[in-house]
Amino acid sequence: MDEVFKALADASRRSLLDRLHAENGQTLNELCEGLEMTRQAVTKHLAILEDANLITTIRHGREKLHYLNPVPIHQIGERWIKKFERSKLAALSELKRQLEKRDE
Amino acid sequence: MKLDQFKPLTVYTIYIASTPEKVWEALTTAEFSRKYFSGFAVETEPRLGGKFMVRAPDGSEHISGEVLEYDPPNRLTVSWNVNWPDLVEKLGTTLVTYEIAQAGEAVRLTMSERHDRPLSDDILSGGRTGWPAILSGLKSLLETGKAPQIKMAPPAKMLDALKAMGIKVP
Repeated sequence: MDEVFKALADASRRSLLDRLHAENGQTLNELCEGLEMTRQAVTKHLAILEDANLITTIRHGREKLHYLNPVPIHQIGERWIKKFERSKLAALSELKRQLEKRDE
Repeated sequence: MKLDQFKPLTVYTIYIASTPEKVWEALTTAEFSRKYFSGFAVETEPRLGGKFMVRAPDGSEHISGEVLEYDPPNRLTVSWNVNWPDLVEKLGTTLVTYEIAQAGEAVRLTMSERHDRPLSDDILSGGRTGWPAILSGLKSLLETGKAPQIKMAPPAKMLDALKAMGIKVP
């Protein structure tokens, strides 16, 4: 679990996760598009994310595709979010989503 | 069916302190699946071309399919079609692949859900909510002998999206 928090502590790595959240299953080239980072830096960050099991790669034909893997985050939730809090948290995040949508 | 035409749209990986053989057994048999998959019973005929199915707790055949890749205890692909009227016609066949590999003292299990056409995030949201809970339950069961009862809300977004496509949902 240490690896997950270390991997998430870096803003560039969080932005790579955001990009996969917006569109899952991208190649390295697609992930590099429009980023200020070098390809080498992106590759390094992706390796750290993969070691922390926050992303998974899969070969599809000739391409290597990257996927967001929420399982470790789900496990963090299971460990620290008590069952009775879950429905309240879901209600709060839904409220937040609705309110923010109105501002768009 | 050309498996290459199916693109993974949802992929999850989990590490489990167990053996590939145990993980394989847990994924393919009802005795285990009932405990981590909300009472659903997985039945897998152990051969290429064999029948695959998931029975709901009431005994009805909820998901039916066929074994399309069979390499125990490393790789299994099945078609995974939910038996709601018109669903397969409108969404196409769903494939589920499990890859199991030893990783030091643990086993790395990767599940990918593959489709032959693009599908909206709303349609995919059902699986994306369900799989992490199923896989976490499987991990707990194999590591501790007990899977926690995870309470899941019905996948409202997916059900709405299916209704909007004219698919009758229960």
